[in-house]
Amino acid sequence: MGQGLRRYLQGYTAAAPLATFRVAIGLLVLASVVRFWAKGWIAELYLKPKFFFSYYGFEWVRPLGPYTYALFLFCGLCALLVALGYWYRSAAAGLFLSFTYIELMDKSTYLNHYYFVSLVGLLLVVLPAGRYFALDTWRHPARWRSEVPRWTVDALRLLMGIVYCYAGLAKLNSDWLVHAMPLRIWLPAKNDLSFIGPLLGQVWVAYAFSWFGAFYDLTVPFFLLNRRTRPWAYLTVVVFHVLTAVLFPIGMFPYVMMVAALIFFPAEWHERVLQRLRRLLRLSPASHQAPRPLVYGRATRQLLLIGLGAIFVVQLLLPFRYLLYPRELFWTEEGYRFSWRVMLMEKMGQVQFKVVDGATGRARLVNNYEHLSVLQEKMMSTQPDMLVQFAHYLRDYYARRGVRNPKVYADAYVSLNGRLGKSFIDPTVDLARVTDDWRPKPWILPFDDEITGL
Amino acid sequence: MKKSVLFAFALLLAALGIISCGKDGNGDTPGPDAAVDRKALLTQWADSLVKPGYQRFNDKLAVLKAKTTAFTAAPTPATLVDARQAWQAAYVEWQKVELFEFGPAEQVSLRNHFNIYPADAAGINRNITAGTYDFELATAIPQQGFPALDYLLNGVAAGDAAIAQQYASSANHRRYLTDVVAKMDQTFGTVYSQWNGSYRDTFVGNTGTDASSSLSRVINAYSLYFERYLRAGKVGIPAGTMTGTPRPEKIEAYYLKGALPLQLATTAHATVQQFFNGRPGRPSLKSYLDALGAKDSRTNQPLTGIINAQFGVSAQQLSSLGPDLYATMTARNADAVASYNEMQKAVRLIKVDMTSALGITVTYVDNDGD
Repeated sequence: MGQGLRRYLQGYTAAAPLATFRVAIGLLVLASVVRFWAKGWIAELYLKPKFFFSYYGFEWVRPLGPYTYALFLFCGLCALLVALGYWYRSAAAGLFLSFTYIELMDKSTYLNHYYFVSLVGLLLVVLPAGRYFALDTWRHPARWRSEVPRWTVDALRLLMGIVYCYAGLAKLNSDWLVHAMPLRIWLPAKNDLSFIGPLLGQVWVAYAFSWFGAFYDLTVPFFLLNRRTRPWAYLTVVVFHVLTAVLFPIGMFPYVMMVAALIFFPAEWHERVLQRLRRLLRLSPASHQAPRPLVYGRATRQLLLIGLGAIFVVQLLLPFRYLLYPRELFWTEEGYRFSWRVMLMEKMGQVQFKVVDGATGRARLVNNYEHLSVLQEKMMSTQPDMLVQFAHYLRDYYARRGVRNPKVYADAYVSLNGRLGKSFIDPTVDLARVTDDWRPKPWILPFDDEITGL
Repeated sequence: MKKSVLFAFALLLAALGIISCGKDGNGDTPGPDAAVDRKALLTQWADSLVKPGYQRFNDKLAVLKAKTTAFTAAPTPATLVDARQAWQAAYVEWQKVELFEFGPAEQVSLRNHFNIYPADAAGINRNITAGTYDFELATAIPQQGFPALDYLLNGVAAGDAAIAQQYASSANHRRYLTDVVAKMDQTFGTVYSQWNGSYRDTFVGNTGTDASSSLSRVINAYSLYFERYLRAGKVGIPAGTMTGTPRPEKIEAYYLKGALPLQLATTAHATVQQFFNGRPGRPSLKSYLDALGAKDSRTNQPLTGIINAQFGVSAQQLSSLGPDLYATMTARNADAVASYNEMQKAVRLIKVDMTSALGITVTYVDNDGD
């Protein structure tokens, strides 16, 4: 290790940024849970469906029936405790585990920002965010620490930087830059908005949004790091995310990013925010104790650094796993998730399953809606791994109903970024015998076009 | 470092300029977006399709009510034939409005009260004998509407004289027939009056593209109708595509048979086509898609041309199933299956390619772009 790195790892900074981040994210997750509940999505997404698309290796994670409500309650409670800094470490662990469990219950609800929240939750478990402006330190003043190693705050900044940069890299492809797809489809659909509406129908606006979006994602973390550009950069963060919130149905994502980007602000700024909060809540002003840095034991520190290092190595590599697959990523979606590919595709599909009795050869067609929710069917029809999972469910379902040795075929039709739909998977392949694993899926039919770029 | 970022930005801008100019040169830009006007489209649908369509259907329903009243007042073969003709005319007219299952129609589940078949003849007979029934029950769905009338006017006995005699001799039969028509009249009445009341403005004013917008609801209703009630209901299920065995007794207007079932299906198909194309010079899905510049980016063919070509093939294959759809289902089952398959191709163009090009949202759940 170089001198510079060693010196960097020994640097200290005020604990305030971790504290405000903890409070803000805790409250945001709490709000998300309340919103999710209020919209009736718990029942709609996790109680009503008869079948759930689990993740590879996490087949044991399933909704808990009526206890799913308790799971959400627990998650919301942990988020609140994290915000308060009460039983911080356990609350953070509870938040990370319950939120991640919820996200793993059904693939069809996968969202990049849920994944982001899970990762933040994981970082919060290991970072010392409960040592300052926290109920824990009020109960146990000995735990109070006003300074933390620099790298603990920088870990959050690095995560944000990865999210933005990888989202930007993912936009460097011909559909996005050369054809302004899919914004060219999405923007005119919003032309009834006041003020900007009339502009959104213009093709050049779709190009401008595409190019600015790519440039913004690739560069904004650096502008946020730089002291002089920071205020302007944060202004664009707000404008950009407010715009996406107005234009697209992406739920809490814009707010999560707007709040999380505050981590780039200097410690003094966070300290001022906390001061204002203290006055608002009529708490005693910042303790006049002498600054007390958090000093880790040698082994703990080593372990933390290695753990964080491992997390970030995975984060840096995971989005590139798609390179291990031979064909067009947008078409096959092999290695698509968990890679910060946000708002990249207008992809739609329709699939008709056919179940054939292996003994009699009698065929019947399946009404997907009898087994799946609207969201599940929509998500499944364009994602090969989910098609296989549903085919296996159908195989077992019909086997129970007396069909001998059921063979399952799918006639799928998918359109991507304005290309006319075409056959998606080989309709002669018996999906009941195909296994869903990480190997390339040869039964996905060719894309018959090319998208160049990353 | 800052300089190089500025340089990169300038480079991006320059490239953007070059690309957008190049695109203009190719004539790649969609036409003037004056026609990408959802309010005009919704207004056209409300004032020139839904409301006039409902009005014409309302007239036919009034005739049906008058003729069935005349028949129950004096059940003879002559009044029966009159009632049956009024039923046929109303049934055909219904095909032109069944696809409007959004807004008020969706609220009262109009289709459930009007056209879920095959009719539950045993249930209808039980109701007649019992003399009490509740048309709002889920089990009562196939015991009312046009399919129930099909059974009541064509299937309760063999031959017109016997049918008339059945009604002459049974007050319960007369009452059931009256009640079925009265329920249709009442249910449709609420939908019709809402469209003539405040709902029209609500519909036209909801110009967004989210899952609760008028456009999204119309497109959902339209593609659902085409897929489930035309493709599967009228052809696929009786042809046995779902189960592997032809089930001709599941066709629409099964008790009358003859030319009517195919006439109903072709009327429905023509309605789907007309809804797409509208009238020349007026806003329609076609003009809206053309204004968006929707095309297959692999071949640059306009999407509307591709859809209309498939509509044509599908309509032709469907009309070849005559003259008697019931007989065709077994005698020329392969033709019926082929018709289903051609409709399926059109369904995909509507459900996938058109919906995608429109940029409408089909679910209420958060989505970050697939």
